[in-house]
Amino acid sequence: MTALAAAIAVGLGALGAGIGNGLIVSKTVEGIARQPELRGQLQTTMFIGIGLVEAMPIIAVVIALMVM
Amino acid sequence: MLETWGEAENMSQYENMVKRQRKWMLYLLSILVLGAALTPYKHIFFGLLLGSTVSFYNLYLLQRKIDDFSEAVVKQTRPKGLGMISRFAAAALAVILAIRFKEHVDMIAVIIGLMTSYLVIMLDFIFYRSKE
Repeated sequence: MTALAAAIAVGLGALGAGIGNGLIVSKTVEGIARQPELRGQLQTTMFIGIGLVEAMPIIAVVIALMVM
Repeated sequence: MLETWGEAENMSQYENMVKRQRKWMLYLLSILVLGAALTPYKHIFFGLLLGSTVSFYNLYLLQRKIDDFSEAVVKQTRPKGLGMISRFAAAALAVILAIRFKEHVDMIAVIIGLMTSYLVIMLDFIFYRSKE
């Protein structure tokens, strides 16, 4: 049962992060393709977005390993 | 010419941010080393050090992967991905090490340490948003 709990925690965390990262990356790629000269600025925004989105699944991984 | 200048200025924004974040993480790690060496709370500082080191590795990986990714987008080659699994695996390794050596390393401190890079990213964003 604990393995199931760990799997659900990591799975749902990674699902949310995957959707969030996908949205951020798709918009950034669109922006860079449209205006390559704004690359640095868009890259910075993408970095901050991905960094903050990935905090939650990392906590989920930690909790899953602690539960197991 | 103007376009290349604008691009260089924009790139330096990202590179400046990377340098600032690296500097703050190194300052933090040095403070934690001092804490581990000089205070009696060794297991807490060892946990913070383990977590912060892995967090620093994750930050470096994220910075490098994002740079490679946008380079691939600009050059219209195939991007290789953002390395999400590598970062999860690094965090999992830190937690497994903390569970294995639980008599030397405090678990909660490892988790707090893992979150330091996000704190650095947020504080850097808040402080330097208006300047650049």
